[in-house]
Amino acid sequence: MQSRKKETSMDKMNIGLAKRYRKERRFRLFGLAAVFASITFLGILFVSIAANGWTAFQQTEILLDVHFDTAEFDVDNLYSVNYGALVKNSMRSLFPEVKGRSDKRDLYRLMSSGAVYILQDMVMKDSGIIGSTQQIWLPADDEVDMLMKGHISRDVTEGDRRLNDKQISWVDTLVAEKRLEKKFNTTFFTAGDSREPELAGIRGAAVGSLFTLAVTLLLSFPIGVATAVYLEEFAPRNKWTDLVEVNINNLAAVPSIVFGLLGLAVFLNIFGMPRSAPLVGGLVLTLMTLPTIIIASRAALKSVPPSIREAALGVGASKMQAITHHILPLALPGMLTGTIIGMAQALGETAPLLMIGMVAFIVDVPGSVTDPSTVLPVQIYLWADSPERAFVERTSAAIMVLLAFLISMNAIAVFLRRKFERRW
Amino acid sequence: METMGAVADIGDLVFPGVETMVREESRQEEKVEREDRSTVGRPFVDDARMTCRDVNVYYGEKHAIRNVSIDVGRNEVLAMIGPSGCGKSTFLRCLNRMNDTVDSCRVFGDIQLDSLNIYDKSVDVVPLRAQVGMVFQKPNPFPKSIYDNVAYGPKIHGLASSRTDLDGMVESSLKKAGLWKEVSDRLDQPGTGLSGGQQQRLCIARAIAVRPEVILMDEPCSALDPIATATVEGLIAELQEQFTIVIVTHNMQQAARVSQRTAYFHLGDLIEVGSTDRVFTNPRHRLTEDYITGRFG
Amino acid sequence: MLKKGLVFVAAASIAVSAVSSAYAASGRDYISVVGSSTVYPFATTVAEQFGKTTKFKTPKIESTGSGGGMKLFCTGSGIDTPDITNASRRIKYSEYEKCQNNGVKKITEVKIGYDGIVMANSKEEAQVTFTKKDIFLALAKDVPDPKGSEKLVANPYKTWKEVNPSLPDTKIEVLGPPPTSGTRDAFVELAMEGGCKQIGWIKALKKKDKKYFKSVCHTVREDGAYIEAGENDNLIVQKLTANPKAFGIFGFSFLDQNGDKIQGSIVGGVSPTFENIAAGKYPVSRPLYFYVKNSHVGVVPGMAEFLNEFTSEKAWGEDGYLSDKGLIPMPEAERKQFAADVKGLKALVLTK
Repeated sequence: MQSRKKETSMDKMNIGLAKRYRKERRFRLFGLAAVFASITFLGILFVSIAANGWTAFQQTEILLDVHFDTAEFDVDNLYSVNYGALVKNSMRSLFPEVKGRSDKRDLYRLMSSGAVYILQDMVMKDSGIIGSTQQIWLPADDEVDMLMKGHISRDVTEGDRRLNDKQISWVDTLVAEKRLEKKFNTTFFTAGDSREPELAGIRGAAVGSLFTLAVTLLLSFPIGVATAVYLEEFAPRNKWTDLVEVNINNLAAVPSIVFGLLGLAVFLNIFGMPRSAPLVGGLVLTLMTLPTIIIASRAALKSVPPSIREAALGVGASKMQAITHHILPLALPGMLTGTIIGMAQALGETAPLLMIGMVAFIVDVPGSVTDPSTVLPVQIYLWADSPERAFVERTSAAIMVLLAFLISMNAIAVFLRRKFERRW
Repeated sequence: METMGAVADIGDLVFPGVETMVREESRQEEKVEREDRSTVGRPFVDDARMTCRDVNVYYGEKHAIRNVSIDVGRNEVLAMIGPSGCGKSTFLRCLNRMNDTVDSCRVFGDIQLDSLNIYDKSVDVVPLRAQVGMVFQKPNPFPKSIYDNVAYGPKIHGLASSRTDLDGMVESSLKKAGLWKEVSDRLDQPGTGLSGGQQQRLCIARAIAVRPEVILMDEPCSALDPIATATVEGLIAELQEQFTIVIVTHNMQQAARVSQRTAYFHLGDLIEVGSTDRVFTNPRHRLTEDYITGRFG
Repeated sequence: MLKKGLVFVAAASIAVSAVSSAYAASGRDYISVVGSSTVYPFATTVAEQFGKTTKFKTPKIESTGSGGGMKLFCTGSGIDTPDITNASRRIKYSEYEKCQNNGVKKITEVKIGYDGIVMANSKEEAQVTFTKKDIFLALAKDVPDPKGSEKLVANPYKTWKEVNPSLPDTKIEVLGPPPTSGTRDAFVELAMEGGCKQIGWIKALKKKDKKYFKSVCHTVREDGAYIEAGENDNLIVQKLTANPKAFGIFGFSFLDQNGDKIQGSIVGGVSPTFENIAAGKYPVSRPLYFYVKNSHVGVVPGMAEFLNEFTSEKAWGEDGYLSDKGLIPMPEAERKQFAADVKGLKALVLTK
């Protein structure tokens, strides 16, 4: 009797067990599918951006024999030299058969309008080259670049192309003479913004982002941590601290443009700070990231076991010593994680910066936190909105730079976390 | 070693047999009834290191400790026993003002350490806690090296004049805590990597490194296995020569083994105080008797 | 750490106040331009050219939209306010009034050229000829009852053929800018209202009830036939190549740059070519402006030179570099007149 009864209950359990395992397998499968799906989407995103953008790291350049004719430099001011004529003369010497005003114009158009400034810079740096003939690789126009990269099709009728048949034949001749090649696009990493895609670079925006984030980090981390420590360790629990807490949590969810409006009203209109400056951008983004950092820091402080606090107080450490010697070091990895999340958010923001004038065309690479500048996501937005086709690949390339920024920031965070954790 | 010797005698009594039951019945008239919550026995001693008078503790509205008056004698081990929630830990934490960290906790009454009221406004809790050290229920070494754990107290109080001085303090504290032999070759290893019993002894070494007068122990062996417990109990007996020790425990055998005096708490009241021998062999209060004979607790 | 933080905050706030006071005292050494995103590509081109060929710094150009630009421009005459604002429409009287009230008394208006707004589709399909009336009937929220009575019904047309038998038998699907865009405003005003007026009894409404007339002519349908594609015109071009049946609405410069993929539809019998827009034949085109704060000329370094560059023939002329960027130049006489206005800083006077 008894053994049979036992058997049946075991049987029942076994049936249920199989069901439970099935459920567990299903659950794991769902989890795996979710992970797989997100990795797939991420992969698609990366691949499509990289596929669109990698060509931007190459730029078509044309080799010219430029003769720095002394006659042209017969003026007082090196700025007022007609450098355009130097380029045009060199182009004409390559294609002496080209006659007629409009044909010549078409020929000159193969060259980037920035070639002139490169020559100007060369002369400014070293006036010794005046009178000599130099072989110089100069950037080609963005249309030529697009043709070389296959973004302009030769098959469509001539009128619908940005390059006519003659221009294409000249390009082919240059390629045959090995005077036209795709080279690594250093301009992209050394120049500021430009309306000519072949002259446009990410450096201005990257430096702007760096300045802005530096201001944000330097302000939001100490303020955020100090606030969190005060609220968590010193503040009495009462209505006021509850109110502060609710407000901080609310601020974390406020649309970022609101912080931009606040920045405009307070920093620009009341304090009279300069528009478009990374300093103000950093201040606005500080306001935006503070709630994130405070919330993460408080969570990190809360997660420090109370036994550590008691141990420190038990040997006679003051509250301050208990916090700085024991609690903060233990909470630091969590605080850093929160800060990096906040910084990553700040790195990707454009909306609040619109209000304080950082959505702007700025050619010069900023040299300080008060120089007008823009930031990476704004640069991406501005390029994405530009009609020239060559900006499409540059937009993707800029996104890649932004992602590289993010990845290196996260890598630094992981490194710091490891470092602080290993101390124990 | 005397205390250890007493263990055998008392041990029989703690496990109530038929004989004890008979003896109790015969003495029934002498017992103080359960309803009477005034302290019986001898709470006061002549040569007191700490004196507590009419201590009341509230957690918000809850009256956690009621009118407790007791002395802690010089170089004695005072055990505080009682069922869970009786207030023994709360009372222990009043002795070095650890309760200050709890917002809702309010303490009234007079607690003196060497004739100085520790709740006086002029008293700084930092030196107080250096004088009255504490060892907690769960071993809680800092997540730092063994050396840093022990050196931390002397460092913050500025007790060591030089590095060698500090090294000496660490060594002597670890020796006193009976841990030196086990860890002398790995002082730079994390304290959290030690076994539970070693961690608790490390915490004791950390507490004695600042040379306190009194050491409070809040159920120091409750998270340890029997062998580690025996080691710590032996240690307590040795430390007694230098320090005054107040130990809270829910383990009656332990109280009997290590302490000279025992205080029994019940729901916030101090019911009975007396020499450990007397309390365990001849409790005067019905509640004490109920507890040590295992009727509840 | 706490202490360090506090010290740092104190130091930072001192630094901030020092910076802002220094900034207020020393003024600006670069020109600050704000305003329309339509004018942005042209203004930036000039700015870059200016920065590279002169000793002055490259002007800073913000893309704030026409309205946003006016707001900033008219905040006051201080050195911390913009020197120039771009606009894809003329300044409104209310804005002019605000400027006057805030002490921005003298403003010079400069028309820089024209921008055509095109309807285009993929080259895979045939080029289409629309009348303005077709556009209105296809895109308005409420249209006259197709049965003929003089009352409005919710737009019933699903295909172009239903609107006009000569149009293709494909679903009406138009990608265009959102209501916040200046391009949308101009398109609605020029194309839709133009078509609206061709219906006699609605035109009569204009005299009776101007507000109602406007709401009838300017309201775009919201049943999915008109798809708001965001402010990014490049995106619309990409979507058109992916979906050849759809039409898109955007600025001429995007058609100019993508002539191999898309074609502009003929509107009112005129195709949207550079020449047609320049000659004023293409009906859906609008003038572009910028406004100069006269009090800043001579104060902000390079102002006069920048204005000179912008209004030079090599910039805004027939073969100027701005025409390469898709700006449709004004007739020569108009160019001369505005160039003279700029030289003399002729203050704009608007009356209600």
